[in-house]
Amino acid sequence: MIKKLKRIDYQLEDRFDITMFLCVILLTVIGLLAIYSSTLNHPTASANFYKQLAFALISIGVFFGVYFLPHRAFYSMSTPFYIISIIFLIAVLFFGKVVYGAKSWINLGFTGFQPSEFAKIGAILMLAYYLSKPRVEINSFYGLAGALALIMLPISLILLEPDMGTAIVFVSVAMGIIFWKGISLFGLFVVLSPMIISFSSIFGTFVFIAALTLVVAALLFFRKDLFLSASIFVMNLASGFFFEFVYRALSPHQQKRILAFLDPSSDPLGSGYNTIQAKVAIGSGGFFGKGFLSGNQTQLRYIPEQWTDFIYCVIGEEFGFIGSVITLVIFLILFIRVLKIAAYMKEKDEFSGIIAAGIFFLLFIHFLINVGMTVGVVPVIGLPLPFVSYGGSSLIANYFLIGIAANIYKNRKQYA
Amino acid sequence: MKINAFDNFDFHIRKRIIYFIIAAAFSVITLKLFIMQIIQHEAYDVKSADNSIKGVIETPLRGVFYDRNLSLIVDNKPSYTIILTPAEYNRSNDAIIETVLDIPEGAIEKLLKENSASPRYIPIRVKRDADFKTIMWLEENRNILKGVSYAVEMQREYPAKVLGSHMFGYIKEISKKQFEKEKDFYTLGDYVGASGLEKKYEKYLRGIKGVNYFLYDAHRRVIGPYKESKEDIPSVKGYDIVLTIDAEAQRVAEERLKGLKGSLVAIDPKTGEILAFVSSPEFDLTVLSTVTSREAWQMMSADINKPLFNRASQSPNPPGSTFKILAAIAALEERVITPTTTFNCYGGYTYGDRTFACHGAHGSVNIERAIEKSCNTFFYQLIFKIGLDKWHDYAKRFGFGKKTDADIEEEIAGLVPNTDYYDRKFGKGLWPKGLLVSLGIGQGELSVTQLQLAQFAALVANNGKSIKPHFARGYIDFETDKLVPFKFEEIDVKINPETFNIVKKAMYLVVNGAGTASSIRTPDINIAGKTGTSQNPHGEDHALFICFAPYEDPQIAVSVLVENVGFGSRHAAPIARDVILAYLKDKVKNPVLKDLTTMKESALDKEIEKN
Repeated sequence: MIKKLKRIDYQLEDRFDITMFLCVILLTVIGLLAIYSSTLNHPTASANFYKQLAFALISIGVFFGVYFLPHRAFYSMSTPFYIISIIFLIAVLFFGKVVYGAKSWINLGFTGFQPSEFAKIGAILMLAYYLSKPRVEINSFYGLAGALALIMLPISLILLEPDMGTAIVFVSVAMGIIFWKGISLFGLFVVLSPMIISFSSIFGTFVFIAALTLVVAALLFFRKDLFLSASIFVMNLASGFFFEFVYRALSPHQQKRILAFLDPSSDPLGSGYNTIQAKVAIGSGGFFGKGFLSGNQTQLRYIPEQWTDFIYCVIGEEFGFIGSVITLVIFLILFIRVLKIAAYMKEKDEFSGIIAAGIFFLLFIHFLINVGMTVGVVPVIGLPLPFVSYGGSSLIANYFLIGIAANIYKNRKQYA
Repeated sequence: MKINAFDNFDFHIRKRIIYFIIAAAFSVITLKLFIMQIIQHEAYDVKSADNSIKGVIETPLRGVFYDRNLSLIVDNKPSYTIILTPAEYNRSNDAIIETVLDIPEGAIEKLLKENSASPRYIPIRVKRDADFKTIMWLEENRNILKGVSYAVEMQREYPAKVLGSHMFGYIKEISKKQFEKEKDFYTLGDYVGASGLEKKYEKYLRGIKGVNYFLYDAHRRVIGPYKESKEDIPSVKGYDIVLTIDAEAQRVAEERLKGLKGSLVAIDPKTGEILAFVSSPEFDLTVLSTVTSREAWQMMSADINKPLFNRASQSPNPPGSTFKILAAIAALEERVITPTTTFNCYGGYTYGDRTFACHGAHGSVNIERAIEKSCNTFFYQLIFKIGLDKWHDYAKRFGFGKKTDADIEEEIAGLVPNTDYYDRKFGKGLWPKGLLVSLGIGQGELSVTQLQLAQFAALVANNGKSIKPHFARGYIDFETDKLVPFKFEEIDVKINPETFNIVKKAMYLVVNGAGTASSIRTPDINIAGKTGTSQNPHGEDHALFICFAPYEDPQIAVSVLVENVGFGSRHAAPIARDVILAYLKDKVKNPVLKDLTTMKESALDKEIEKN
C-alpha cells in the first residue's frame, strides 16, 4: 500500500517538476496582487490587472505547449529562433515605438511586444546550440570568439534601441553560460577585465589607475607570454578610454541615472526620486506591512509606473518584511530547482544543461537587478521582476523559458 | 590559448561558486530588507507620513470675556474673510474686485507688494467681515476669479453694547517680529491680542491649536481625511476670562462721556476690582482687526482727538484739588496739624513777592472746612508744614509717581516731584520754594493718571487697605466649569484710621454739606468726594472728581476727568454720580434709580450742553 502510493508520487514528480511550477504560479499571483493594489482607481492603468490576468492564462498555455514539445525540438529550433529574433531586433529599430526613450516595442495593433524579450530565448538557445557542439572548445581563441560574436550581435542591436538594462542582461547571461561551460580563469579574466576597467573609469582617474594596476598584477599572476599579456593590457586600457568616450556620448538623463545611483540624494526630484521613494515605501512597510491596499506610498502613487519595475516595493510596503522575505524564498527555491536541472543535465546532455543554466542566469540577473535597485544596492536599471512585474512579453517569454526547463526535466531520463 | 592547471577548475567548483553567489545575493538583499524594514522602520515611516500626510492647523476658538455678573461682554462671531492666493490670481481682476469689496483702488497691488516676500501659494487676506452678497458674487463668478476665495474666520463682537476700546484692546495679524520670537506657537497670519486685555491675557485666550490630517497624493492633491480623521488633534478653545467690569456701570460711563474728551475709572475699594474703565473718545476695535488696519491706524493717529490714546492710564495731568486729600492725610499723619488747627483765608496767600489766589475768602478754616470748600489758602501753607519730601513719600505710598501694575500694559507712572527732582532740574538748592505752593493744591509739575486717582480714592474709602487695581478675576476652567482666580498683590498704606475718618467726613461734606459738589447730592446714596480743576496749557481747565459711595460702607470709588470744560463740580461730578448709581442700583432699593435712561436727560446734562 505504502509502496504503491510512493510509486505514484514518484512518477508524478518524475515527469513534472511541480515545485518549480508552483513557485512560478505563486510569484504570478503575488504579482497580480501587487498590480491590483498599485493600479486600483488609477486613471490610466486600472485595466492592467485584468490584462496581466489574461497574459498569465496565455502564459500558462504557452508553458504547457512548450512542456509537451518533443525533447529534440529545441535543438532544431535554436538557429531559426535566433535568426528570427535578430530580424525582429532589426525591424524594431525601423518600425518600433519609442517607450521611455528606447525603441523597443513593435506595435501589433491590439497589443505591443518587445522583440528583446524573445531575443533572450533565441540567444540562450543559440549559445547552447553552439557551445554544445563537440568541436567547439571554449578555452580556444576561436571557440570563445565565436560565442562572443553570437552574443554581441543582439547586444549591439539592443544598444541601438537603446536599452541598457536588456543589454546588461545579455552580457550577464552570456558570461554565466561560458562560465558554466567551463571557461578557464584566464579566459574569464580576459573577458571580464575590460568590463571592470570600463566601469571603474566612471569613478575618476584614481580608481581607473588602481583598476589597471590590478589588471597588471593579474597578468603577472597568470604568467602568460609577454606579447599576449601586453595585448591584453592594451585592450583593457583601450576599453577604459572607449567607455569614457561612450559615457560622455550618453544622453544626460542616462548619465544622471548612473550618478544618482552613486548618490541618490544628489537629485532627489529627478532620477534619484524613484530610489528614495522606493526605499521609503519598503522601509515604512515594517515587519508586517501596512496591509493589502493600505500602503500610502503605493496608493497615493509616489512611485511612477510602480506596477512595472518597482513592483517589489508594493510587496515591501503592503506585506512588510514577512511578505518580502517570502517572495525572496520562492525565488530562491525556483532558482535552485532550475540550477539542479542544469547540473543534472551537465553530463547527460550539454545542450539541455546549457539551456537550463542560461534560464537560471537570465531569471537570476533580472531578479538581482530588479530587487537590488528597489532596495537600493544596485543602480536603477529598468528591468522587470520575472513573473511579478506587469508586462505581457516578459511574462510569456519567462513562462516559455520555464516551459523549456520543465520539458528538460520531463525528458532528463532519456539521455544515457 | 594554453590552459594551465591552476587557472582551470572543476565543474563542481563552478557550481559551488554559483551557489555562493546566490547565497550572497539573497543574504545582502535580506539584510538590506531587515535594516530598512525593522531597524530603520520608524525613520522611513516618518518619511512616508511626511510625504503624504499633511497637517492643517485648526485655529482654536478664542476665549471670551465675561463681566463680573457673568454676562458676555466680548464674544466671537463667524465672519467671511476674502482671501487671495497670489500664485493663482490674475491681476487683471484688480479693479472689479476692489470695486465689489469696496476697498481703495490699488489696495490689491499694495497687498501683493507687502506680501511679496512670502511664498506665493500662501493666501493673503484681502478683506475681513465681508457681507453675504459679496460671497454670493464670488461664488457666481468662481471660474473668472481664480485665486480669490473666502474663508470663515472668527471675529470679535461686543454684545453688551459696551465699547471698552482701550480696556479690551484689539487683535490683529501677528507681526513678523513677534512671530520670530514665538515660532513654536504662532504661524504667520495668526491673530494675536495687540493691546489692552486681549494682549495681557493672550496666553489664556488663544487656546491650543489643533491639527487635521489630510492625505495628499504625489501631485500634492488632497485625497481626503487621513484615517477618517481619527488621528486628528482637536483644537482646544481658549480660556474664558471673567472680568471685574460691571457692564452696566461701564455702559453708563461710556454714554456719559460720549462726545467729551476724558476718562473715568471706577474701582471696588475692598477688592481693587476695576468696575468701569473709560477713555473717551473711543474707537471701533473691529476696524483695527481688518486688513486695511494700517490705513485705519494712520487715520486714527491723525485724529486731533487722539482716540487711540488711553486717557485713563496713559494721560498725565495735574490732579488739581483732588490732591488736597493727600496733603490732608500727610499733614494729619505727620501731626503738623490737628483737626482743630485753623488757617485764615483772606482770598489768597502771599509767598515771597507773589500772591496766590483762592477762589473765595473762607475766613478761619480747619482741615474739614478746607476740604469741603476746597480752600487753596489752607493748602498753600500746609505743604510747607509737611515738607516736600514727606509729602512726596505719602504720594508714593498711595501709588502716585509709579505704575499701578494693573493688568493692561498701556500705563504710565506720572510724576510726583521731590527735592531730588528739583535739585536735578535746577541745581542743588537753586530752585524757588514757591514751586511748592502750586504742588500744595495739586498743580505744577505734579502729574497723575485717572487710574492712580481711582486707586487713591479706593484706598481712602477703605481706610488704606485694598488690592492692586485689576480687570480680571480669573479664568473659567472649562473642565470643572469653575473660576480659577488670578492673584493680585494687597496694598496697605498703614495710615491711622482716625486720619481717614477726618478726611472722609470732609469728603462727605463736599457733596452732602455746603461743599463744591453739593449739586450731585442724591437722597438714596451718600456719596463722598472731592472736586478738582486741573490747569493745562492747551486751553480750558480739565474738570476732575474723585469719590466713593456709599459713605457708610464704600463699595465703589470713582475718578473722572473731563478735558477742557472748566470746574470739576459741574462737569465731572455728575458723571461719577451716574456711574455710582448704575453700579449700586440693585444694592439700593429705590425704584427711581432703576431706570437709568432718565439719568441721561438730567438737568446737569443740559447745563453741559449750554457751556
